[in-house]
Amino acid sequence: MEIPFIVNARKDTGLFNSKVGIWLFLASEVTLFGGLFSGYLFLRLYADYPWPERALPILPGLINTFVLIGSSVTVVFAWAALKMREWRKFQVYMAITLACAGLFMVLKGIEYNAKFGHQAVRLQGGGPVQDNAIVEGHLHYAELNDKGLMVEVDEGRKKEDGVFKANRVLVKASELTFVLTRPTHEAYVKEILRQAGSNKITLAESYRVIDKEELSKGEMNRDQLTASESAFVRKEGEELTIELLDQLEDAYLEARSHDRKIRTEFLAASWDWIRNEKGEEEASTYIVEKEVWKDRRAEDAEKIKILSLRAPSEVTFKVDPPFTLVFEPADLVNKVNVGDSSAKLRDDTLVSGEVLKSPMIMGVDALDFRTTAQRAEAEGLDPFPVIEGTWLLTHRAHHDGDDDHADDDDHADDDDRNEFKKIWDCHMAWLKAETERLEKKDRVPALNDKYRVNWDQILAYRDLDYDVEKVYQESKARTLKRAGLFDLDGFAGANHKIHKGKFPHLEIPRANVGFESTFTPKWNTYYAIYFTITGLHGLHVIGGALVLGYYLFFGRKMYESNPEWLANRVEVGGLFWHFVDLVWIFLFPILYLM
Amino acid sequence: MAGSIEEIKKAKKLYMFIGTLLFFFTVVTVMVATVEWLDFGDHGFDGVDATIGLCIAAFKATLVMLIFMHLNHERPLIYFFYSLGLVMAFFCMWLIGWSKSDPIEFGNESYSDGFYDLSKPATDVHGRGAKE
Amino acid sequence: MSADAHDHHHHVLPWWKKYFFSTDHKTIGIQYGLSAGAFLLFGFFLMIVMRWSIAYPHEPLPGYMSWMFTDGWKARWLDDGKVTGETYNMFGAMHGTIMVFLGVVPLGFAAFGNYVTPLQIGAPDMAFPKLNMASFWAYLAGGLVMCMSFFMESGAAKSGWTNYSPLAGYADKQIVNQFLAGQTQWLIGLVLLITSSLLGSVNFVTTIIQLRAKGLTWMRLPFFVWAMLVTGFLLLLAFPPLEAAGIMQLMDRVVGSSFFMPSGLYSASSGGAMDLSGSGSPLLFQHLFWFLGHPEVYVLLLPAIACVAEIIPCNTRKPLWGYKPMVWALIVLGFLSFIVWAHHMYLTGMGPVISTFFQTTTVLISVPSVILLTSMIISLWGGSIRFTMPMIWAAAFLPMFGIGGLTGLPLAFNLADLHLHDTYYVIGHFHYVVAPGILFGLFAGVYHWYPKMTGRFMDNFLGHLHFWPSLVCMNLLFFPMLTQGMAGFHRRWYNGGEGYIEKGAEGVNVFGLTVAEKISLNEIMTGSAIALAVFQLPFLVNMFISYFWGKKVTSDNPWDATTLEWATPTPPGHGNFTFDPAIYRGPYEYSRPDHDSDFFPQWEEPKRDAPAEEPEGEPEKKTTEVS
Repeated sequence: MEIPFIVNARKDTGLFNSKVGIWLFLASEVTLFGGLFSGYLFLRLYADYPWPERALPILPGLINTFVLIGSSVTVVFAWAALKMREWRKFQVYMAITLACAGLFMVLKGIEYNAKFGHQAVRLQGGGPVQDNAIVEGHLHYAELNDKGLMVEVDEGRKKEDGVFKANRVLVKASELTFVLTRPTHEAYVKEILRQAGSNKITLAESYRVIDKEELSKGEMNRDQLTASESAFVRKEGEELTIELLDQLEDAYLEARSHDRKIRTEFLAASWDWIRNEKGEEEASTYIVEKEVWKDRRAEDAEKIKILSLRAPSEVTFKVDPPFTLVFEPADLVNKVNVGDSSAKLRDDTLVSGEVLKSPMIMGVDALDFRTTAQRAEAEGLDPFPVIEGTWLLTHRAHHDGDDDHADDDDHADDDDRNEFKKIWDCHMAWLKAETERLEKKDRVPALNDKYRVNWDQILAYRDLDYDVEKVYQESKARTLKRAGLFDLDGFAGANHKIHKGKFPHLEIPRANVGFESTFTPKWNTYYAIYFTITGLHGLHVIGGALVLGYYLFFGRKMYESNPEWLANRVEVGGLFWHFVDLVWIFLFPILYLM
Repeated sequence: MAGSIEEIKKAKKLYMFIGTLLFFFTVVTVMVATVEWLDFGDHGFDGVDATIGLCIAAFKATLVMLIFMHLNHERPLIYFFYSLGLVMAFFCMWLIGWSKSDPIEFGNESYSDGFYDLSKPATDVHGRGAKE
Repeated sequence: MSADAHDHHHHVLPWWKKYFFSTDHKTIGIQYGLSAGAFLLFGFFLMIVMRWSIAYPHEPLPGYMSWMFTDGWKARWLDDGKVTGETYNMFGAMHGTIMVFLGVVPLGFAAFGNYVTPLQIGAPDMAFPKLNMASFWAYLAGGLVMCMSFFMESGAAKSGWTNYSPLAGYADKQIVNQFLAGQTQWLIGLVLLITSSLLGSVNFVTTIIQLRAKGLTWMRLPFFVWAMLVTGFLLLLAFPPLEAAGIMQLMDRVVGSSFFMPSGLYSASSGGAMDLSGSGSPLLFQHLFWFLGHPEVYVLLLPAIACVAEIIPCNTRKPLWGYKPMVWALIVLGFLSFIVWAHHMYLTGMGPVISTFFQTTTVLISVPSVILLTSMIISLWGGSIRFTMPMIWAAAFLPMFGIGGLTGLPLAFNLADLHLHDTYYVIGHFHYVVAPGILFGLFAGVYHWYPKMTGRFMDNFLGHLHFWPSLVCMNLLFFPMLTQGMAGFHRRWYNGGEGYIEKGAEGVNVFGLTVAEKISLNEIMTGSAIALAVFQLPFLVNMFISYFWGKKVTSDNPWDATTLEWATPTPPGHGNFTFDPAIYRGPYEYSRPDHDSDFFPQWEEPKRDAPAEEPEGEPEKKTTEVS
């Protein structure tokens, strides 16, 4: 059996099978990306926060556009070469296409990687709009000192044991309570045990489940049963291990099954009883349970109490002496404040003790007050005074203790402004110059210019020693150093390696952290849609490259049996490749430029 | 479809030209977005720039479809498939957009579809608290 | 490849390639049919448990329903043997999902479509046999992933088969590894299913367009093939937006994005604001869901109508009345089905203008549906009907689907929908369409093509024992729903509305009164559901015993039908046809006055002296020089 029209076109449609197939597939791809673009459009139009315009460095996207367009040309050349039966040329063009695909994915990887390591925090504080200032930057690193408190360490030590990113929540744990119906918390237990090191976490109270066979014999009373040999016992003081927890879980689940089974049997017996007693008709009236059976159910409840094992569903471990556990904020089910007596993990494990001071420490490479401004305007307030009143611009840098950061010693004077206020003042000077310049052209500065201070601006202001007058003059003369489109040090955003130590240091108390995330889909809907669409597009690139690569490396046999067959296949693969290019043609302006 | 060797040779020149055109328009798009003397509208980036950028993108996409994907000379069936996809994607966007932009109105208050509308004074119409 | 080599190759196929990883469209069709049947039974079982909870909310599940659960499972999901609200939600969500995505669509479109379509168009196989196989395995994997979650700590998905955010974006968040949460697995399963149906629909449309036998022009296509073509397009273009939505929701769950999570969400479990960026749009999910959801209704329906449209002309011995209008109605129906979706969302706060738009298109779409149904009813007129087993099912399909369709009209009007939305009326409406409607159509199909698949007829007595009780039970099950719905019964009450009884006694709450009046219907419905389950046994038995001991067919065309699938050997071998099929006339040439017998098959060559009936639009001779 042979399927017709694999190579040659059917006369009335003029097409071979796979061409029909690929165009149908492309039509469905159009609706797939249509759905995604709808998502983008409506999330953007109805966003309740200022949409991040031009949030991405343009250069990688631009290069990728060139790369994809170039590969579109070479793939069509590869097809033409096959049509002209030039195998060598086909190989060359196809190889270039694949190299382009590889380059595209590498650039994508660099971009993604920069985002994953870039932290953003939405601050929260008082004031008419609850602050909502946003700072961006790189997290610093910290470790625990011998008192179990957090101290900052140099970035060079980030790979060492016990060093963690400075956004963690520290809890001085004295008790851990596990819910035994959650066999999925193994990951947490492992992490806790790892952090415990040589510290002991022991069972606070013996866990006993009486033996159900002994119970059913009815020869002993409950106290005897609890003390008897056959009961399941894990003694007080046993150390926490995953195996122990598994055993406790198994024992609990088994006991629960047994208890529920007994209760079910009693309930079923009650229904039989009421059917016999009251007749089918009355038994089916809906309020029967509450009215008729009170006595019967009370009697049953007594019996059930005697017959069931009643194993506790939670088990508590004692941490003695208490030591500090470090959790990722996302592991905690709710926000905690310093001094709270407990923190709950996502799987309902309760960590009792004390929440320690756990500030976020970062090098700041951008300030963003657009949300503050938007909310202020919504309240009918002038944004600038509101911004001046935010926590970020008004807080006093810490100067207590030995581990003081001497960053702004040079500028200390008797100036009581913090570094961010200084940056902001410079920014206002720059904005003034910019506004004046634009006014002459009948234009106004954009929101981005007004309320956002970029990494290159921060560096430029710093270079001028935060001298407001100098900033104004240089801005006016347009000699202020800004990052250009082709500056490689900002290729994938602010570069903390090249500009090490130049970005201002910020310590945010836990109470002022409103929402924090790296620049991943979690940060806002823009990054969510950016990662989703480009990720899917990247998968298409990989898929297309695999297919084209197959033709390049394994197509020789097909070429020899029938060159037209391979030419058709490459045409079909090429159509898909062009479509991928076509999607990117829209993605580039939408995600990078708008 | 280009069949003979001559036609393909001729087509190759066209592909080269289109490729160059695509490069060129990419550069134009970036300039519209970044260079001040090519910036439209009253400030840095705004609706006008967006429209121009998307128009250029649409033009580029059309070139790719017509020349690289050979839609300038294709079989009717293929136009049918592809336009069906485009039409459905259009319906998807258009009707969702219409649904979202058609609020139920009571006097001056409009109840749109549950977005937290910050352009309006915070009167807490959705009962979720004006302040976060 | 030469013919000899090919035959040789065919014979040495190992058993696992022949029955499991087969690329033959008939095997794949049967694989689809069997797995879809298994999923249907499972979904049916979930429904019976739910119905028990509705009628007897205080009574433990009876032994014949709960025997298959382990004690541990029962302890987790049943409250002293009674169904809890959580379990009810889980079963409800999975019942809907399984029935729609894993049961009816694969049975109608994939099983029947795969088996019958290539035969009817004279093709040796589907255009892309390997894709076809991949499609089946993606489907099975998706289905198993979804159902596996029943046995996990989180349980299966519980947020309704529509999976609306923000509920579905947050459910099961206590599970540390989100890939082990039922709600996430539902999404992964869904993405696999969508992949499967994309592969399938590309394959179907390509096959129908490219592999038609010579002479099989568009208006000579059997109606079944037309229906498959339109269904293919529906799946092809409607599913991707849901795939997009599914991926976005997956992102919401796994990496914590806020596509569908609005600002200012609080959760009781954390006792505070949720750790989300917010600014997402729950309604966007609903839009993208129903962009698929509505065409999906026609994906369910069209294969059933297609089966019935094949069976009616064959058993009335009379051409299908209005074949061409039916085809055009089908195309219009397919097109319109894309722009009616928001009638599922009248209560989401859409404005009056857009509501009116969707109301208009929704009412418009009833026109082609009525054309289809009416044409088939008129086809009965003046025919000498043979009440064979398939015909009985097909005949019952017509009024049942009629009730289903007509009860949908009030839901199309946004004012009436304000009252009826989310009540049992909606449930009654679409179950009338799907259960006694679509499933009856598909049962008809099973009885009709069983002889071609196996070479034996299904037993008539067992068939009647299956049909009549099913008809009665279906109506006793679904008609009271319409009444209850109008009395205000909400579709998601796990205790059947019992909470309103006390209110009813005080006479304060108007729903309390109406609910008290209609609540006893619950027991009738539950009884019918159980009886319905019992009376599916004859069918299962019939399928099984007929395969071994059924009456053998005496010819390749036992029903004296005209379409091309009856020209193949019984059962058809690999490659289907023993001759090169050519088509000379339309699909339903029954009782032609100028012909001797009362049917004139499409493939039968005209007599020499008869008026010329040349194959038109003959494609080029098949070229098979490729090895």
